Amino acid sequence: MTTAPAWAIGVCNGVHAAGSRDVVYVPDNPLSHVLRVFEQQFRDVRLILATREEEALGIAAGLYLGGRLPTVMLQSSGLGNSLNALTSLLMPYQIPVLMVVSMRGDAGEWNAAQVPMGRAVRGICEAIGVPHATVEAAETASDTVRLAGKTAFGTRTSYACLLPRRVTTGSDPQGDRRRSVTL
Amino acid sequence: MTRIEATRLIVELAGDAPIIASLGHPAYDLFAAGDRPQNFYTWGSMGLASSVGLGLALARPDARVIVLDGDGSLLMNLGSLATIGLLRPTNLLLVVMDNEEYATTGGQPTPTAHGADLEAAARAMGITATATVRIEDELRRVVQLFQSGDRNAESLAPQGPRFVVAKVKESAPTAKPPLDCVFIKQRFMTAIGNPESATEGAAL
Repeated sequence: MTTAPAWAIGVCNGVHAAGSRDVVYVPDNPLSHVLRVFEQQFRDVRLILATREEEALGIAAGLYLGGRLPTVMLQSSGLGNSLNALTSLLMPYQIPVLMVVSMRGDAGEWNAAQVPMGRAVRGICEAIGVPHATVEAAETASDTVRLAGKTAFGTRTSYACLLPRRVTTGSDPQGDRRRSVTL
Repeated sequence: MTRIEATRLIVELAGDAPIIASLGHPAYDLFAAGDRPQNFYTWGSMGLASSVGLGLALARPDARVIVLDGDGSLLMNLGSLATIGLLRPTNLLLVVMDNEEYATTGGQPTPTAHGADLEAAARAMGITATATVRIEDELRRVVQLFQSGDRNAESLAPQGPRFVVAKVKESAPTAKPPLDCVFIKQRFMTAIGNPESATEGAAL
């Protein structure tokens, strides 16, 4: 069994500490570490696979209506797929979702198709009024995610936690090469 | 069978079951058929009614969750059928009010007007308890089976979510639900037994 990266353990701790026990996700390479930590160390967290990010947010809204505190994990490229759910369901109904966003298109990116959306993520969040926080380092991942979740669920606003590639792949010198082969 | 007739029938049989309605005419008809606090009217997010219903069914396995979707709406989120077919919550009834048109936007034909078969799509995605109904008696039977949790139904498979295409004639809506989204949400959550004030407290 490979050791889980510290940033991924931090993300899981933060989600759990925010009270969330339901994680709806669309897969992403760095997020696979987070999923593995949830599976192995947080048996009380339910993981729900969605086919698309907008669908994931719809499922999360239903979980919230049922009394749960939902988290949605996605890649930043999926933010574009999410906008209708965010702006015409979560925001007008004040349904909070803690979003954990694995960044593409930022420093370390090798795929030009990922860059425009990656560059636009913060601007889009600000344009539609979704607050965002960036996990700056593995050591602060848990606090950043926990506090975002606390504000999300306390104030009934969705909140995005961004995970830069510097944090999720920067410490893995083989990471980029491996991905360039496998993708 | 018109959509308002089908909707009235479902409301009549729903008891206190939560009902999630897709935006536009399905939501308008749900309001006209019988406004009740257990109705969740969406005003946007076309396509997501079935996803919201799925999330609610997962969160509340004790509740029997009914979704009123449209054919155009479901076609916008067909992946939802794969997710429902994967998770198979037994407490979810997805009714597609299939009028074969985008009625809310002026009556443009949807692909179901040209043969697209949403029941076949649901079956292909692993939802086994499916039906297509055209008259009220058929619809009544399906909803009653769901409400009773009957696991010995002949025509519908015994396990998993239920999926029904109700072929309906368009009926011009006569009323609109409340416009206040937060009111709709809070009234709904209180009515189904998890008031939002309790949810908020759990986070802090």
